[in-house]
Amino acid sequence: MPYMISMRGVDKFYAGEKPALVDVNVEIEQGEFVFLVGHSGSGKSTFIKLLLREILPTRGTIVVAGQDLMRLKSWKVPYLRRNIGCVFQDFKLLPNKTSYENVAFALEVIGRSRHVIRTQVPEVLRLVGLEDKMDSYPDELSGGEQQRVSIARAFVNRPPLLLADEPTGNLDPQTSLGIMSLLSRINKTGTTVLVATHDREMVDSMRRRVIALENGKVIRDQDRGVYGYDD
Amino acid sequence: MTISLGYFLRESAINFRRNWVMTLGAVITIFLSLLLVGVSVATGYVVTEIVKDVERKVEVQIFLKDGFAEEDMIELQQFLSSDPLVASVDYTSKEEALAKFKEQMKESPEIIEQMEGNPLPASLDVKLVDARQVEVVVAKIKSNPTFPRVADKPDNPEESLKYAKQIVNRLFALTRVVRIVEIVFIAMLAIVSLIFINNTIRLAIYARRKEIGIMRLVGASNWFIRTPFLLEGVFQALIGATLAILTIVGLERAIMPKLREVLSFLDLSLGGTVMVQISLILIGSGILIGLMGSGFALRRYLKV
Repeated sequence: MPYMISMRGVDKFYAGEKPALVDVNVEIEQGEFVFLVGHSGSGKSTFIKLLLREILPTRGTIVVAGQDLMRLKSWKVPYLRRNIGCVFQDFKLLPNKTSYENVAFALEVIGRSRHVIRTQVPEVLRLVGLEDKMDSYPDELSGGEQQRVSIARAFVNRPPLLLADEPTGNLDPQTSLGIMSLLSRINKTGTTVLVATHDREMVDSMRRRVIALENGKVIRDQDRGVYGYDD
Repeated sequence: MTISLGYFLRESAINFRRNWVMTLGAVITIFLSLLLVGVSVATGYVVTEIVKDVERKVEVQIFLKDGFAEEDMIELQQFLSSDPLVASVDYTSKEEALAKFKEQMKESPEIIEQMEGNPLPASLDVKLVDARQVEVVVAKIKSNPTFPRVADKPDNPEESLKYAKQIVNRLFALTRVVRIVEIVFIAMLAIVSLIFINNTIRLAIYARRKEIGIMRLVGASNWFIRTPFLLEGVFQALIGATLAILTIVGLERAIMPKLREVLSFLDLSLGGTVMVQISLILIGSGILIGLMGSGFALRRYLKV
């Protein structure tokens, strides 16, 4: 299996701060479901930003979806991001657009045709279970529903890689479970899913691969792992 | 691309409404600076026409005394004709001078009635290749040894010369000063309009920072993100340019007929081609100002 994500000897230092990441070596295969766990400040956010090529590492090489990020020209970065779906804790929905319009917007701005938009948006909204809420605005939806819209937006372009940064951080346990099973279903379609989280129950119940970060170092990387911190 | 175009136009229109005070400021300053550019091009054109016309009419007249020696006159005429600065030298006899004078004065016959005999001198009329060289030619005439012998007033030959002293030079100096003042004003207004556009675009970027963040996230290309803002600056500039063109056409309609009346001896016209040229210049510089203004703002406020 080719790697979806490959990080070799990656260091990231911000000027005047303690190292954010130190000598990270991680390989994630196509179709894997991986948890990235650690306290706040352990380097999770830096990890995600590096994959999105929002920042470049101080040292080391990163390959994502076949692209060597060190050599990727900056004007090509948007094309890399079309291969990476993104989900965040705060949903990042546009308040003046309906669910349908929020998802359609993601296709519109990468120049997809009207026809593609009209067929794919309802389909993906059905997939996340929101076929009845297509015309609702974000403030008419619950937190879990808003996160489903944001997952629909991340997945509508069928990216090979889905990154989720604390996707259940603002949600109650019941709703979180629904979101996780949705991500798991997306993973079953062959999409690689990487979830950064500090939701202990979730990680322990799912029994997936866990990469644990502490002070910028990978301290543990095990298949079918648990959250494993004592906090 | 069809949905993109619709998208860009829609986004720009929304921003127009959202920041209409700033947008109005940008449009007005662009309008004023382009109006000044247009007026200065138009006046420049008219002044050049006037100068050319005056140049054609600048000549040096040498008055000849009664009963001058024919061969002296011919010698002087040949001396001047061979000079590269001189276009032509024509002889006007006393009779011709009188006829011309009567023609000019036909509206006041009492002056002609009072004249006894023919007081007018014959003359050599020297036309110049370049009006600005008038002093040089005059100096040459003065230093010619034949000149005092034929001059109307041999005691003081200089008084036998008539020419428009340095009018042309002054006209040129004046237009130069006017030109410099215009350029300074235009530059100042252009800078003010750049600042205005920069601000409208900055506000537009701020108002849409959430959309921009999501566009970056889902992989909208850099140009897709930038284009609505660039277009917005260009739209503002084009509205300013259109207003400026309309104003100049209006001014031309109002002023030129009167100017032609007052300066009827000059051949004055701002033909259609000149107006088209002016319009193209204004639209071109408008687009340039618009692109520059929004370009600065994008560089400073929009990280893609």
